[in-house]
Amino acid sequence: MYRLGVAAVWLYRVTWGALFPTTCKYHPSCSQYAIDAVRQKGLLRGSMLAGWRLLRCNPWSRGGFDPVR
Amino acid sequence: MILFSPLTPLEHVARHVLNWLHFSAGLPWAWSIVVLTVIVRMLLVPLTVKQIHSMQNLQRFAPQMKEIQKKYKSDKQKQNEELMKFYRENNINPAASCLPMLFQLPVFIALYYSLRHFAHEPASKHPGSLSFLHFIPSIAAHTTTHWGGYVLLVVYVASQMASTLYMSATADKTQRALFMIMPLVFVFVIARFPAGLVLYWVTTNLWTVGQGLITRRLMPKTPPPELFKRSSRTPPKPESGGGDGKAGAPEQPKPSQPRPAGQPRKVRRKKGTARRR
Repeated sequence: MYRLGVAAVWLYRVTWGALFPTTCKYHPSCSQYAIDAVRQKGLLRGSMLAGWRLLRCNPWSRGGFDPVR
Repeated sequence: MILFSPLTPLEHVARHVLNWLHFSAGLPWAWSIVVLTVIVRMLLVPLTVKQIHSMQNLQRFAPQMKEIQKKYKSDKQKQNEELMKFYRENNINPAASCLPMLFQLPVFIALYYSLRHFAHEPASKHPGSLSFLHFIPSIAAHTTTHWGGYVLLVVYVASQMASTLYMSATADKTQRALFMIMPLVFVFVIARFPAGLVLYWVTTNLWTVGQGLITRRLMPKTPPPELFKRSSRTPPKPESGGGDGKAGAPEQPKPSQPRPAGQPRKVRRKKGTARRR
């Protein structure tokens, strides 16, 4: 099931991510974080974690080292 | 579908705004798209301005960051951790962030579906002209169905390249070059899209360029170059000196040999400093 999430992230990477190139302020990057989260926590919890991470990835946050825990 | 579901409310809002711009404000469809794009970008102004400022701030520290990247070339994990540490120590807020870019995705999807509906449903359902500035007969048709679409594609490539110059948050030259080539590859994909979507891209790119120009002008001109010069001159000396030492370490027989013939070493140093300055 988690493969679906990983595939979705890759779909994003080759389409939208490639069209609007940015580099993430976090390490690992948001898309890598999403893949890790979905792999470790499953599709549902992983997606929620990834969504929360995306919200944190705004210009006012500090960024930094932030792996899936 | 699962990925986009949190964004669907935004998608609906975008579609409603588009309809409102056409039916209530009386704009033709093409101009409604342009205005919708401008509205979205206006809403994102606080986000992007902050982003541009922190990007300029980041570029000041580029020499030091390159040094860190060189130091931990083999270990990417360690390299990133060190970079993050460097950010924290120097109170840097990394430039790029994923959220502003993501906000544009639902608008894009809303436009895509609206234009697809236009292409499939009878014209009576979406009254009003679909043409744009007399050179694109229908914004719902594929871009390449009319010569005007090719003009739009050329403008797209130019605007995308220009916006990359202003927005790409990396100082890395190869990555930048790659981003510059991207539109040339994507133009073949985009040619299959409705012309209205290309119109959206052109508008948003031109906005990016304009915003970049304005924020750069508004930024105090003198401090950044001064700081940049200082940081590029002073820090690299001790750091590059250390780098030379490391580079020289494996070549230890050489430093011991050149003692009698010290001239070549001096020449090398001169070359190095000349390049740096």
